[in-house]
Amino acid sequence: MKKKILASVLTVAMAATLLVGCQSAAESADSASSTADTESTEESTDADAESTDAAASEGLALEDLKVGFVYVGDESDQGYTYNFMMGTDEVQESLGLSDDQIIEKTNVGEDSSCETALRELAEAGCNIIFATSFGFEDYVMEVAPDYPDVQFCHATGYQSAASDLANTHNYFSSIYEARYLSGIIAGMKTQTNKLGFVAAMPYAEVISGYTAFYLGAKSVNPDVQMEVMYTNTWNDANLEAQLAQALIDDGCDVLGQHCDSAATATTAEAAGVWQIGYNTDMIDKAPNASITSARCDWGIYPEYAINCLLNGEEIAKDWSQGLVENAVMLTAYNDALMPEGAAEAVETAKAAIISGDLHVFDTSTFTVGGAELTTFTNDFGVEFVKDGYFHEQEADFGGSSPAFSSIIDGITVKE
Amino acid sequence: MLSIILKLIVAAVLAGTPLLFGALGEILTEKSGNTNLGVEGMMYMGAVSGIAGAFFYGKAAGGAPVGVVAVLIALVVSFLIGALGALIYAFLTITLRANQNVTGLTLTIFGTGFGNFFGDFIAKNAGGSLVVTDGVKAMFKGIAIPGLSKIPVLGTLLFNYNWMVYFAVIVAVVMAWFFKRSRVGLNLRAVGEDPATADAAGINVTRYKYVATVVGGGICGIGGMYISMVSQNGVWVFDCVSGYGWLAVALVIFATWDCNRAILVALVFGALKIMRLYVALPIPSQFYDMAPYIVTIIVLVITSMRESREHAQPKSCGTNYFREER
Repeated sequence: MKKKILASVLTVAMAATLLVGCQSAAESADSASSTADTESTEESTDADAESTDAAASEGLALEDLKVGFVYVGDESDQGYTYNFMMGTDEVQESLGLSDDQIIEKTNVGEDSSCETALRELAEAGCNIIFATSFGFEDYVMEVAPDYPDVQFCHATGYQSAASDLANTHNYFSSIYEARYLSGIIAGMKTQTNKLGFVAAMPYAEVISGYTAFYLGAKSVNPDVQMEVMYTNTWNDANLEAQLAQALIDDGCDVLGQHCDSAATATTAEAAGVWQIGYNTDMIDKAPNASITSARCDWGIYPEYAINCLLNGEEIAKDWSQGLVENAVMLTAYNDALMPEGAAEAVETAKAAIISGDLHVFDTSTFTVGGAELTTFTNDFGVEFVKDGYFHEQEADFGGSSPAFSSIIDGITVKE
Repeated sequence: MLSIILKLIVAAVLAGTPLLFGALGEILTEKSGNTNLGVEGMMYMGAVSGIAGAFFYGKAAGGAPVGVVAVLIALVVSFLIGALGALIYAFLTITLRANQNVTGLTLTIFGTGFGNFFGDFIAKNAGGSLVVTDGVKAMFKGIAIPGLSKIPVLGTLLFNYNWMVYFAVIVAVVMAWFFKRSRVGLNLRAVGEDPATADAAGINVTRYKYVATVVGGGICGIGGMYISMVSQNGVWVFDCVSGYGWLAVALVIFATWDCNRAILVALVFGALKIMRLYVALPIPSQFYDMAPYIVTIIVLVITSMRESREHAQPKSCGTNYFREER
């Protein structure tokens, strides 16, 4: 009994010391940054007295810049990571960075190897680090406090806004806008009035995407229906092919997809139906089936974030841009397969989205369980439905990560 | 309803064929007393070399390749490269007597890297994608056999597949005959059961082991080629074999080392793989994914309980033969 008491006392004592230890470390970091503040204020006479961030008062010289990227795969996936790496090349060119100013870590797992990669990049002197897979976020949040001078930008995540870490940021592209446009083409192309969607995981990111795709189709073809099946994995080419075939067997004649490989495209080609891709142009792989693809331009955000760093401005906590800024787009059309008038319909819708006249998730255009969607709150209690539409990926409504996860009428999910 | 079942069976046949090739290759290998766990690796090697063979032939032929020639090239090249993978294994285990399991596993890792590396490399040099021409793609599509394919139900069920499906069945039937009826086949089985006895009977154990393992690897390679040419429709896709080799190894156990039974079992495995896409049952999809492996475990348990010698793994599997240790 005595031993037990002693053990518990010791445990409590240890926990207490740990806490104290953490606190003092945080305090010293705070005091360090505040001294930096005072110094910089003294140096520059016109510096804003209210400035809280040392980086905010003086920019970084371009030649001192070092950028780190962490990818879950590499360019060989010809999809997700390949698209990110194309964006990196864009940034390198537009900012004129030399090769040794960019460090890319590929094939990093969504496990502790991500933490290692992040720490290596920070220790290698990177001023800004981009982590590009959903599962990296926990590691970003863990590493970021240790490197307060390094900016951590995480794609597809959601935790930054709620955290008090000034050096973490979330970003994503409003890809649902491009998916809506591609849906218009699908809606005009279909002859069976039945679309199919090869989806990876039942996550909001995927659901938001195929719902937008369907709403686009429905906007031009009110009778259209859509069938969705999940592979439950991001990358399994054979399963994607079999799933696509099952959708085709069920009468779908235009397939959309949110998966990593081109298997949906090639299966559609072999079966003589059509396909709309994601991330990369798939026309060279399936020239008789691929009409176009919805694509994010991953060069825009890094350029924005790096420019903030160079100009001494703060990087937004949440960033999501879409058609307005050309952060999302449709890849070049396969003209031979484009239905008549589709290109014009896409242009009209695009202009309407850009001007703000058209909202993709306009609640008057769809129903959930037979009723209009009037309220939708996420885990943090944020209300998304306001002014007649669902505020998807907006900074004031739950940030940059996709949130729409209702299955609307007209879409059948086949488990 | 009938049409859904028909589509399910057709899809099951298409999904089961690469498994059948992989299993047949592995059965041949194991009959010689070698457990080659490198099926996945050899399938990758066959997958990339088959499509690369057809692709480069298409380039050399100046955009007007003869379909049949492209098919033959894909077949031969994938067989040879699969056999090359098995040759590495054979040399390490038969000549150098390395541990069979470890060697097989490393062959899987090697073959996966080999396939993905060359697939990407060729694709990059070709401007992004490794795709065969439409004419070659058409050669791997289903063939409606004149007359027979018009029979209602049976026509769809039996006479509308691509040539590789029929080829796989023929290979299986021939192999079954080979093991049961031919002298060489019986000798091979003797080698697999008890190499020392076979040796004493004057059978060249080393030669039998080498030939069976290498040819078995070649058949696995053809299975890989099926994935790149039929499942992926003549487009190289990164990581395309994705576990089919391992499923083939499980299938060997389920088929109890019997080539005729392997045909049926491949169909069952193929059906289990795609069933959830056609038949909606109120169970989580993960159960479907587990099903082939659960069935394999059950079969393992049952066969070990029955202690049947006829339907068991060849006795000497896993141990290397060393004459001086007799």
